[in-house]
Amino acid sequence: MDLSSKKTAIIVITTILWLTINFLGWNDYYLVSMYLGVVLMLLYMMLGIAKQGILSKKLFFYCLIPWAVIWVASFTLADYYAALFAGAMPSFTILGFHPSFASTVVGYWIGGMLTLTIMYYNLKDEWLSQKDWEDFVKKIASIDETEKGGAQ
Amino acid sequence: MSATAKTLIMTFSFLMIAVSFFIGWWAKKKVTSSEAYFGSTGMFGPFTVGLSSTAAVASAFALVGVPGLMYSTGNAMSFWMLSSAAFAMAYLILGKKVRAMAEIGKVASLGDLSDLRYNNNRVIKITMSLTLFLGCVAYLAAQIKAGSELFGHLLGWDPLVAGFVIFGVLAVYMSISGEVGGLLTQAFQGLVMVIAGVVIVVAFYNITGGFGEVLKVTSQAGTVTANEITKEFSPDMLNAWGSMPRTVAMTWMLIPILGTVGQPQVITRMYALKDTRDMPKMGLYTALSHTMVGLLTMVVSSGALYLVATGKIDPLVKGDRAIYAMADYAGITAQLFVYAGVLAAAMSSASLFLSICSTVVSRDIPSALGFKFEPKKQVQISRISMLVLGIISIVFSVTQGEMVGILGTFGWGTLMSATFPVFVLGLLWKRANEKGVMCGSITGLALNIASFAGFKWPGVLPWYFNVITISIAVTVAVSLITKEQGLSRKLQAVIDL
Repeated sequence: MDLSSKKTAIIVITTILWLTINFLGWNDYYLVSMYLGVVLMLLYMMLGIAKQGILSKKLFFYCLIPWAVIWVASFTLADYYAALFAGAMPSFTILGFHPSFASTVVGYWIGGMLTLTIMYYNLKDEWLSQKDWEDFVKKIASIDETEKGGAQ
Repeated sequence: MSATAKTLIMTFSFLMIAVSFFIGWWAKKKVTSSEAYFGSTGMFGPFTVGLSSTAAVASAFALVGVPGLMYSTGNAMSFWMLSSAAFAMAYLILGKKVRAMAEIGKVASLGDLSDLRYNNNRVIKITMSLTLFLGCVAYLAAQIKAGSELFGHLLGWDPLVAGFVIFGVLAVYMSISGEVGGLLTQAFQGLVMVIAGVVIVVAFYNITGGFGEVLKVTSQAGTVTANEITKEFSPDMLNAWGSMPRTVAMTWMLIPILGTVGQPQVITRMYALKDTRDMPKMGLYTALSHTMVGLLTMVVSSGALYLVATGKIDPLVKGDRAIYAMADYAGITAQLFVYAGVLAAAMSSASLFLSICSTVVSRDIPSALGFKFEPKKQVQISRISMLVLGIISIVFSVTQGEMVGILGTFGWGTLMSATFPVFVLGLLWKRANEKGVMCGSITGLALNIASFAGFKWPGVLPWYFNVITISIAVTVAVSLITKEQGLSRKLQAVIDL
């Protein structure tokens, strides 16, 4: 996926998202704000991982998308079970937790951490390979040489 | 608490301070350049930097204030503390670009990064530095106040004396070895916090039998009153949202997660890493250690709720007592590690924020104003400013309680508003230009000051959310309507990496 020509559009979208979330927050639309927050983070990560403007499909589909799905599911279930068992002891627990809080623990905390952290580690070459780094260092050295030559 | 317990806690905690001082002293031999003193640039591996990042992020507020809030208002605050995914996210967004900046020029501070990105623009550097200073002073004062009062109360000392003993030592070793000593002592203190977490988790399961029992007793306890203090329990307090407005829970999800990428204690650690390709590994270490700290806060608040709901202890006078109530009930092993853990949290964050304040005052702002010093002279000036700022902070924090309370509302959000337009937008988007970032930074600083002065924002969102949104929107809007600025080839290579 080539993001080179779309970066400005993505930054504009993220800015609109900040403003929308802020406005929704004023009016207490917390759940939709959380969903939009996931989109906001996803877009920033897409911009961050793109190399020469190209987004790695592996990182996108095996790291970012699973994380986003898990977080959206976690917020949805947290809200659903809080409403279902409002004012009463829940009829079941997950790992001893209230089902609403269990979705935070399992999805938001552990699930989010594992998908982002482990997949980032597993796909580290997609993020930055040895060759990418060496090419970058060489490029900087070559620019330095050229600039030095120009100055002389 | 018995005299023996007090003596043991004091001995253990002072042993930790002594080890920190020894590490700080030993680290001075690694300070071979001004980049090392100010930024530890490219010096350490992922384990050390990862632990240091967790320790610097997890302040005394995380260990004391967060469980206190969760004891008082339920689980909403857990969104903040269970944000262990945030480190990987921060590295994915900005990690390689920040580290790459250290390859195209001398980078030892956030001011240097700003200089490289925005052609030594003085306004951007000064406004960012002032906002950073505001946020860092707030954090620093809160850490010193928490540590001094805790140990003053425990040992029967004047808090000012306790402050000078604990944080005076810190100011001395930070002055000697700068960020090198800071980073290494933070890694050690992070390890203490992780061990404290393991100890308190074991104690929690021994005392309560697990989270299921906590849920059961809090659902059934109703109202508990003792010594004229009442604690209300309800079945809903342990759902995901607790009793705070849910919009606050939303803020406590979004700001800590995205805010991590804008925290100086995270950005500075990106360029402290020796090998850029170790960043994913650093993400693992940071996430695991942060997970342990997150678990600590969860078991402390749940444990305190269980103890009160079952009548084993009286309702707490203040939520902030939760961690000590839990440790005191669990016995001497838990007390030793928990008190040392809280001290470690306060010291690690204080050392980082003292270092940043000192760098801003002695290096970034003077250089933006045109004062240039030789690297050796620069380090000498910073050593003095670190000591002077340390002493002023201790006296201010302990004697100006009300002002520290007001400053305490600054911190995370303020720091995020300082760095987000400058670095996140600036390193992800070539179109972010000097005019845009200048306007965004000035707006951020002005709105932070207005909020500090008492300006009331609409809605229940914490004020800093509004400030961050507006400063980002201003940066993007002004960048778009003003002329595109050419970037150097090196800078283009960084942004494309």
